[in-house]
Amino acid sequence: MSTAVVQSAEYRNNQKRKDTFISIFIGFFAFVWVFPILWTVWTSLRPYNDIISYGIFSWPRHITLDNYINAIREMKIGVYLLNSLIVTVPSVILTLFFGSLVAFVVTRYQYKFNLWILLLFTAGNMLPIVLTYIPVFWMFIWVGELFGNRNLLYNNYGGLILVHVGFQVGFATFVLSSYMKTIPKEISESATIDGANVFRHYWNVILPLLRPALAALSVLMTTWIYNEFFWALVLMSDDSKRPITSALRRLQGQYVTDFNLLAAGAIIAAAPTVIMFFVLRKQFIAGLTLGSTKG
Amino acid sequence: MSEEKNIVSRRSVLKGAAVGGAALAAGSTLSAGTADAATRLKGSTVKWTTRGGGATGDAIAKAVNDAFTKKTGAKVVAQQVNSDDFQNNFAQIMQGSPDDAFGWMAGYRSNHFGEMGLLADLTREIGHLKANLPTAAIKGSTSPVSKKPYILPTTYYPWGLHYRKSMVKDIGMNPEKINNWDDFVKLMTLTQKKGLVGYSLGAKGGWEAMGTFDILNARINGYKYHIDLLNGRAKWTDARTKETFKYFAQLIPFMNDNVMDISWDGMRDLLLQKKTGAMMMGSWFANDFKAKSQADYDDLWVVPFPEINPKFGVDTIDAPLDGISVAANGKNVSGGKALAEFWASPEGIAQAVKAGDTNIYVSKSFDTSSYDAFNKQKLAVLAAAKNIMFFLDRDARGDFAGPIVGPAIQNFIKKPADINKILENMQAQWDALPKN
Amino acid sequence: MKLAATVQKKRSRRSLSKTDRFTLATFVGIPTLLQIILLWVPAVVTIILSFTYWNGIRLKDIQWAGIQNYKNIFVNNPLFYQALKNNAIWLAFFVVIATPLGILLAYQIDRGIKGHAFFESIYYLPVVLSLAVIGIIWNFMLQPGGFVQGLMGRDIGNAISIWGNPKINTWVILGIASWRHIGYIMLLYLSGLKSVDPALKEAAAIDGATDWEIFRKIILPTMQPVNIIIVVITLIESLRAFDLVYIIYGSPTIFPLLNLLVFQNFAGQGISMKGAAYAVILLLLCIVPIITYLRISFQEDIK
Repeated sequence: MSTAVVQSAEYRNNQKRKDTFISIFIGFFAFVWVFPILWTVWTSLRPYNDIISYGIFSWPRHITLDNYINAIREMKIGVYLLNSLIVTVPSVILTLFFGSLVAFVVTRYQYKFNLWILLLFTAGNMLPIVLTYIPVFWMFIWVGELFGNRNLLYNNYGGLILVHVGFQVGFATFVLSSYMKTIPKEISESATIDGANVFRHYWNVILPLLRPALAALSVLMTTWIYNEFFWALVLMSDDSKRPITSALRRLQGQYVTDFNLLAAGAIIAAAPTVIMFFVLRKQFIAGLTLGSTKG
Repeated sequence: MSEEKNIVSRRSVLKGAAVGGAALAAGSTLSAGTADAATRLKGSTVKWTTRGGGATGDAIAKAVNDAFTKKTGAKVVAQQVNSDDFQNNFAQIMQGSPDDAFGWMAGYRSNHFGEMGLLADLTREIGHLKANLPTAAIKGSTSPVSKKPYILPTTYYPWGLHYRKSMVKDIGMNPEKINNWDDFVKLMTLTQKKGLVGYSLGAKGGWEAMGTFDILNARINGYKYHIDLLNGRAKWTDARTKETFKYFAQLIPFMNDNVMDISWDGMRDLLLQKKTGAMMMGSWFANDFKAKSQADYDDLWVVPFPEINPKFGVDTIDAPLDGISVAANGKNVSGGKALAEFWASPEGIAQAVKAGDTNIYVSKSFDTSSYDAFNKQKLAVLAAAKNIMFFLDRDARGDFAGPIVGPAIQNFIKKPADINKILENMQAQWDALPKN
Repeated sequence: MKLAATVQKKRSRRSLSKTDRFTLATFVGIPTLLQIILLWVPAVVTIILSFTYWNGIRLKDIQWAGIQNYKNIFVNNPLFYQALKNNAIWLAFFVVIATPLGILLAYQIDRGIKGHAFFESIYYLPVVLSLAVIGIIWNFMLQPGGFVQGLMGRDIGNAISIWGNPKINTWVILGIASWRHIGYIMLLYLSGLKSVDPALKEAAAIDGATDWEIFRKIILPTMQPVNIIIVVITLIESLRAFDLVYIIYGSPTIFPLLNLLVFQNFAGQGISMKGAAYAVILLLLCIVPIITYLRISFQEDIK
């Protein structure tokens, strides 16, 4: 309905002044917001001896990357990062795969139980984790004993991956199903007319169309699964198999007085998701959009 | 669950080991039994967990484990874990795929899990080491329910009143003469007058304050009453228990402001920085003083908590007993047992000490003749006591000590006036625990 | 494989081949089975166990307890009520302060004020950090010997009690939690705002409506479904609050929360099925928000 709008210069100036004020206000708070992170980065760049001799507010006499080098060497951060990789990548792939499968069936085919499945998956994603973690532990041990190897699922990357998939697949299903509803029915119909069976229908027709949603979701999922630390504490008794976020617990206790080393370790641990966020921001936001609003 | 049977009456002190024990020949070997096992072990792998301890812990573990490998040909794979996480998830870890041997604690924590089948029965290994271990140590490692030992005793340490000699001299008192409650109150009062903390306590974890409670209760009502109380034979609402808390309440005005913020390391730092008059703690932190400077270490002193009731004098002390346990579900149980026995044997002990372990070992072979003044004082503090407690969270059942007593004491420190309600609550919760 | 178009059409409309049905069954079946086994079965096990006495180790030690665990919690345990209070305070703070702030932030950024893209990233940054990292970062700020203490000129000896002081620690923890929550809400709301027709806003501006009125009368109503989602997410996040406090305290004695109480009793060294009971209570509290969320999200399908 937009017509050319004539607004008085005064109104526009007023608006501008208000906006500048708001901008400055929010900008100031943005600095306060990010300050703790900046402080940690700052701490990680100063050598331990400087702090001991001159205090935490002292003017920097040395800036050094030594803490990072030491962190990698002493804290075995490389090992933990690798573990994070081993756990996160398969978890994300499996979660998206399973989520797309269920969303596919539920949106493309009419079955009475469709709604119930969706409800089950969405609700499952919202259960409190403490409700399940001890029985899951028992289950892993029991299944392991059944096959003669206690470590089949417990203390095993596979078990950790399974748990992550189980917990996140609900969200993936929910998001992908709402996205799939926007894919026109005609596409599916013409695929079946052309003689495609269900599998072809999924693999060749629908899956390629899901790419934007999958891209967005994968960014979200990677962040969440990478950042998760609690399950590994319960299900991995070998410290050397734990992802970096869980290992930070042990490192925090061991290096409690060596702030600078610990800061470097924390920054290294945070780096992957932060970098991913800045590089893939659009996908991130797209993922959240798909997940939060419907239709 | 007759938990009370878990608590052994420990009237005899571990005197044989403590007071400048006569050293056995330094080259004493393990008994014949282990020599057999040694040949069987060659080529196998044993897994060891170091429970906390940082770099020193790793160094000690490496020294002992390497010596074991040299002796038996078995490979040892060691890892260090966060002590709190290990303890918090102990039941899960033991049921899962635990390492074969690890450092653990005597008392409820080894007896209970041993009775449940999660820790290996170490009767044979204790038999091999019997010649070197005081009877009281063996008894303290044995479950009174199953009569089997699930831990090989190695070290212990006293909980005592620590202060700095220089600070005590500064306020005009004699550091060698803090003997009774009045002396103690005088020390705190004068220190506080100087603008410092009288009595420091860090109760962030809930367990630290148990040291103060244990010793007050033992001083005022005696060792037997304390053990009875922890096992439900005496009541928390009893007037005698209330008396203990009355004395505890007297300490609160002398405490630091940030009691709930700090743990034992904060307490240590307060003393290190000369900001507090006295504190009740286990002596394990002394090495940190030594690391700071020899002068600080020389200034450190420890005495038994002063006498309150002349009937009991200073006859009781908290001296937790630590040792080595073997996981029943480990992959190499026999290897674990052999490794555990090695750690607890004079040979293993010698390696640990060489690598920097400063703990006091119960073993009769442990040579204390080269002990410095502070360590000799530790031994004296231990020797002064007839009765040994293992600390509340090892003497009482696990679902009572941590979840119920800990918060109750914390709430008391925050609001001493609520003590009656708190005690009623504790008693009600004790009554509600499942007992069979 | 081409058949006559009409026959094919009829077939596709009415029935699927056996292989197709099998494929569909697997597509749905495997993930559903996984979900049920990893989530729902353990949940039911926990619920059942809350009615027993058990030390968590030997199956033969399980004894029926009826509602004793619940009775114990409600009658004898002051920690429980402290936890409820803290959970309620958490919830109220999020609903009244944190979430509205996030919404407000989203609105301002959406209006395109200077630097809005930059702000979006900065305010969202805490959300992409693991709570393990956040715990370390804030410890650096607040612990004795840390930044804030240093600002006040206090070192480790006379540091102000932050984590342990019940008057302060609640606000500090809520502050840190909000640090994360606000960014999250902001981004959620932002994405919803993009769907509001800008023409509506312009028309209202022409008519002389103030910013606040535009927000209240046009934006808020259009965003109705998003609003509810936001409220529900706020509710659920505050009930599930666990990781942050676990990192800082480890045990529930100083700042009890329901989640921490579950952990302390269900794992740890004194295992008791009171932990399961706490978990069930937590579940019951979550049920209303969860059902509301399901209703809103699927309202079209339900009809």
